[in-house]
Amino acid sequence: MMELLECVELNKSFGEKTVLKNINLKISRGKIIGLLGKNGTGKSTLIKLINDLLVPTSGEVFINGKNIGVESKRVISYLPERTYLDKSMTVEQVIAYFADFYDNFESETAKKLLADLNLDVTQKLSKMSKGMQEKVQLVLVMSRKAELYILDEPLGGVDPATRDYILDTILSNFNEGASVIISTHLISDIERILDEVIFIDDGEIKLMADCDELRQRENGSIDEIFRRMFKC
Amino acid sequence: MLKKLLKYDLKYTFKFLLVFYVLAIIFALLARAFLGTENSFVLNIFGEIFRGASISMMFSIGINNLMRMWVWFKNRVYGDESYLTHTLPIEKRTHYLSKIITSVITMFVSVAVIALTLIVGFGTKENLEFIKQTFDMMTENYGGEFIIFVVSILFVLFLELLNALQCGFTGIIMGYRMYDKKIGFSVFFGFLTYMISQGAALAVVFLASAVKGDINTLFSAGNANFETLKGFIYIALSAYTAIIIINCIINIKLFKKGVNVD
Repeated sequence: MMELLECVELNKSFGEKTVLKNINLKISRGKIIGLLGKNGTGKSTLIKLINDLLVPTSGEVFINGKNIGVESKRVISYLPERTYLDKSMTVEQVIAYFADFYDNFESETAKKLLADLNLDVTQKLSKMSKGMQEKVQLVLVMSRKAELYILDEPLGGVDPATRDYILDTILSNFNEGASVIISTHLISDIERILDEVIFIDDGEIKLMADCDELRQRENGSIDEIFRRMFKC
Repeated sequence: MLKKLLKYDLKYTFKFLLVFYVLAIIFALLARAFLGTENSFVLNIFGEIFRGASISMMFSIGINNLMRMWVWFKNRVYGDESYLTHTLPIEKRTHYLSKIITSVITMFVSVAVIALTLIVGFGTKENLEFIKQTFDMMTENYGGEFIIFVVSILFVLFLELLNALQCGFTGIIMGYRMYDKKIGFSVFFGFLTYMISQGAALAVVFLASAVKGDINTLFSAGNANFETLKGFIYIALSAYTAIIIINCIINIKLFKKGVNVD
């Protein structure tokens, strides 16, 4: 069966600075994968390359066997690490915007999730705190019936109680048969939901493994293994 | 998808400009009302203030239109909002076309609003009579083609503005391909593109004058006739149209190569 995501010999440099080196990666369906690494190790760059926000210096990215393009964007639901919505819009208008452009967006699911979070859909995004805006974005992303969800630092900047809510939202809303890539450095918070992990450091994939096997083999939690591997 | 994208792009740009449109017309109306009051020194002073405000609003519409379009393009394509722009299931070409069509419509409406403000604010009976007399005189001398000629001149000015706007887009696309000093490079490339486009327009005129010698009279002794001037305007119209289309194709090709968002 064709891989959902495949990166082949992927390299990215910014001028003289090489940020990603020779990334070879295959992601199959139905998995929750943690893309783990310290800050500035290339996690976001890899995610941006998959989402057509950067042009690779060399190498290729395939989604369902096809190059990145309109088709891949239909099946990827991406949550960036920053707020990217037009702040002059109300939440209601943003929902209509997503419904207009994404065939697989479910407005009712979004409204229900927003109600659970006590977020007013008539409110303008500019009137909301950054944390609230991030929650709206997460809801929008998780309300799509996508094949691949890519969440870049979804827990960054939120309190521990909300982190649990976010993880539960991800778990209970992602499409069956889809995969989720979660990029974070807050490993202990997401460890419980992961099937596989990718450790990235200095622009290279250092390890890619099944979580249970890794825990057994190394006799420790993913967080402990990561700390041991990348001790400063 | 282009239709949907256009709907949102137009909504976004007009939301802001609408304020200036309304203010310009309101000030023009107030100026007209206050200046129309005879024998009132105070009301006439207010009238002059409103007239000044109306003129400044017209300038704001013009300048804001150009500057805001560049900033909007930069934000949507390379700023935070670009994270949404480039992850929508839409071709890059469609994104660019939507931006350029939005710009054309916005500029066209802005020019129309400026014209309307001028008529409301300055279209006194005497002024309108003067314009009518001038037109009648010119039509008598040069026939019905004079109206077409005037419209062509206005259209050339419109295309010139559109060219400047698109050169700015080219500058932003090229500037943001750099890894450092992106805004500086955007200004540089935008200016360079504009100079090249002006050079190309001049080259077309030069070539045309080589074929049609009477065009040279426009730049020399001043004994050019209406037919020559008309020919010159039509050449300028064709040259700008061609330059804008070529630049548009280049921009789409550059854009399709992909972006590097910060």
